Amino acid sequence: MSTDNPPPSDALAARDPDRWRTLAMKYSTLVVLILMFAGFGLFVDRFMTVFNLTNILQQIAILTIVGCGLTFGFAAREIDLSVGYSVGLAGILVPLLLVNGQSLAVALLAGLLAGVMVGLCNALLVTRIGIPSLIATLATGSILFGVNFLLTGGRAIYGGLPDSFLQLGQGKWLGLPMLAWFMLGVVAISWFVMERTVFGRYVYAVGGNRRAAELSGVRIVFYRTAALTLVSVFAVIAGTLLAARLGSGQPNAGERYLLDGLATVFIGMTMFRPGTATILGTLCGALFIGVINNGLNLIGLDTYIQNIVKGVIILVAVAVVSRSTRLNLL
Amino acid sequence: MRGMADELGVRDGVGVDLRDITVDFPGHRALDGVCADFRFDEVHGLIGENGAGKSTFVNVLGGALTPTRGAVHLAGRVVTLRSPRDARAHGIAHVSQEGSLVPEFSGAANVLLGDEPTRRFGILRSRALLTRAQALLRDWFPDVSIALDRPVSSLSMADQKVLEIVRALRGDPRLLILDEPTATLQSREKAQLWHIIRSLPERGVGVVLISHFLSEIKALSQRITVLRDGRQVGCLEAASIDESQLVDLMLRRSADDTRAREARRQVAHEPGLVALEAQDWRVGPVRVPHFALRRGEIVGLIGLTGAGHFAFARSLYTREGLSSGQVSVDGTPITASGIRAMQRNGVAFVPDRRMQNALFADGSVTENLAMVHPEFATGGLGVVLRRGAERREVARVIDQLGVRCSSDRQNVGLLSGGNKQKVSLGKWLYGANERYRVMILIEPTEGVDIGAKQEIYAHARRLSRRGAGVLIASSDLLEIEHVTDRVIPFVNGRPGEPIVRTDYSEARFIAAIAGEAL
Repeated sequence: MSTDNPPPSDALAARDPDRWRTLAMKYSTLVVLILMFAGFGLFVDRFMTVFNLTNILQQIAILTIVGCGLTFGFAAREIDLSVGYSVGLAGILVPLLLVNGQSLAVALLAGLLAGVMVGLCNALLVTRIGIPSLIATLATGSILFGVNFLLTGGRAIYGGLPDSFLQLGQGKWLGLPMLAWFMLGVVAISWFVMERTVFGRYVYAVGGNRRAAELSGVRIVFYRTAALTLVSVFAVIAGTLLAARLGSGQPNAGERYLLDGLATVFIGMTMFRPGTATILGTLCGALFIGVINNGLNLIGLDTYIQNIVKGVIILVAVAVVSRSTRLNLL
Repeated sequence: MRGMADELGVRDGVGVDLRDITVDFPGHRALDGVCADFRFDEVHGLIGENGAGKSTFVNVLGGALTPTRGAVHLAGRVVTLRSPRDARAHGIAHVSQEGSLVPEFSGAANVLLGDEPTRRFGILRSRALLTRAQALLRDWFPDVSIALDRPVSSLSMADQKVLEIVRALRGDPRLLILDEPTATLQSREKAQLWHIIRSLPERGVGVVLISHFLSEIKALSQRITVLRDGRQVGCLEAASIDESQLVDLMLRRSADDTRAREARRQVAHEPGLVALEAQDWRVGPVRVPHFALRRGEIVGLIGLTGAGHFAFARSLYTREGLSSGQVSVDGTPITASGIRAMQRNGVAFVPDRRMQNALFADGSVTENLAMVHPEFATGGLGVVLRRGAERREVARVIDQLGVRCSSDRQNVGLLSGGNKQKVSLGKWLYGANERYRVMILIEPTEGVDIGAKQEIYAHARRLSRRGAGVLIASSDLLEIEHVTDRVIPFVNGRPGEPIVRTDYSEARFIAAIAGEAL
């Protein structure tokens, strides 16, 4: 170097006037969640009971699993609007095979395989043909919707489901519902993969700047495909558990997981790393929705009003994220 | 000197006076008690390195940013500027560095954007739009003629800049902030803009001029305010100071740079074996029959816009748009296509426009540095990251390149241009174990301050001393003169005669890229 003087500090260049707000925002959703929790606990009699808290965990388990899948997609900047129908597909396919005398292992594997197939189809349309995922999955979602009704003729499948299957959704282990264990397992594994593995790094890099990742030698097609496939795989796991919990296969039971699943991710994107989908954020998002639904239920509010409340919360979350970061989904 | 101008400005109400402006961002202070006064009858230059606080400062002046502390006095009264709109209402207009015109709209529509003449129900009066815009242009700049009925995308960059200025003048401001108005212009286009800038104070519009070109600042300004590290380090009469004194003020550095440059010229370089060789290379209209880069050598590619030197350098790595060509690295022909094949064979690439091509703004310094070789810091399976090892490697790279960041978890989007560029370079150091034998850099110091430039050059030299071949395509001729050993000028998609170090001169370069022999 040509000089003895220390080079001038140019760390002064940050010019983001929203930085303070971003910092406060990192944890503000968490604070709201805790306040809400405390509020319901204080003012709603049956809220803070072991029974009810276990109930909440059971209620959000399936949603969280869908949300974790969507988080992989969002991290790679891909969205999957067919996710609710993938939940529905597994929720029909697995009971259908069981009712027709297939073994549990075969049925579960078939469900998983269906998820992989749907995910690969989505990914193919997105990476090879170049359709934006928002549009491609809107179309595949519609196709799946039709398939689901064709498979069942629009009727629910029930009766004759083996007990071993129903246990997955209704059983308990060490005092906690099986569903809660599944949820914790999925969250733990997903968190580890996203935060502590090379795979997670690459997924975030591809989502953060696809061109930069490509020029860095990252196999972007592979990681986009993997992310979209994981969304569907997590959806079919959730769908299978849903059928086990309901004790039947309902062709339209999965639909609400699209909106709720997106909501968990959006709420999650307001915290920890604002603008970025993270597994822990999604878990908090699911808790957020679970606590609201449960609390409003206990108060005795109508489900339609719950929907309105939920819609408003999603809007607020997205508004917060959009103000602070470049939320580009397309 | 400053004190007196201050007094004058305040008492006579002929200026804007900023006092003790402090702006805090989390983790650092971008501006620290900066004072400055701008009169309505002068062009006032504002200079400083990247990261010195110029942009923050004009954002305060233009109402885009509210200071943590300090006051803005306008014509003797304290005003609070809450937004750019608010600032315009107070007579302060800002023409930003990036163009703000709508490319598909006509010049007239752009000039009157937001103030279009309309009939009832908001129906546009297109003829009135044109005549009013023409009147506005004629009124301000009678000797400038620009076709206002054409889409602005068909106009020259210089004309587009004039239209942006006319639009800013629409509300009859008293003070106009011009942020790097000539940065995108060819030198011959600058004359018209200079003329326009000079004419504004006579019309009662003061100008705050930001520019990287010190000669321009000196030629146009009456007074010059210098910022360094978020502080005001001087306000000087332009007539009483020369450029090297300005550089000293900006950098607080002596003439060591020039000495080092001289010394560099005498370093005899013994280039080694061929590191990268391309033959029969065709990409779009660019044709290069043969190109060789040796180990330990830094080769520069220069040319006018569209001459093909950037496309050639880029295609060596990406092979995008390649219609024919063979490439070999260290004598090994590379037959597999694609970026990964080049990378595996030891070719690294630092692209231009780093925020589009190299970094992700929402990712941390660590995530960005580890983008190429995250597997370096992993356990047995090469899958699970080891945080300790990762942190140590990041610290090593940060230290080697002198990246200044508040922590390795800071978002890259918040770093200054120079530090971003260092992270872009550092991607090829992190976990690389010196495996890269060829480094291709495009516009390596675009938007980078002088201090960081020196560090980037030092890094390029270190690489070449270590035996790597370095290829730099740049439009900065000083940079090319400063770092390279050999230059290949490109003219109309063809490489010309190489120029060797001993023949270097700016005149020689300019003649070569213009296609003239010297």
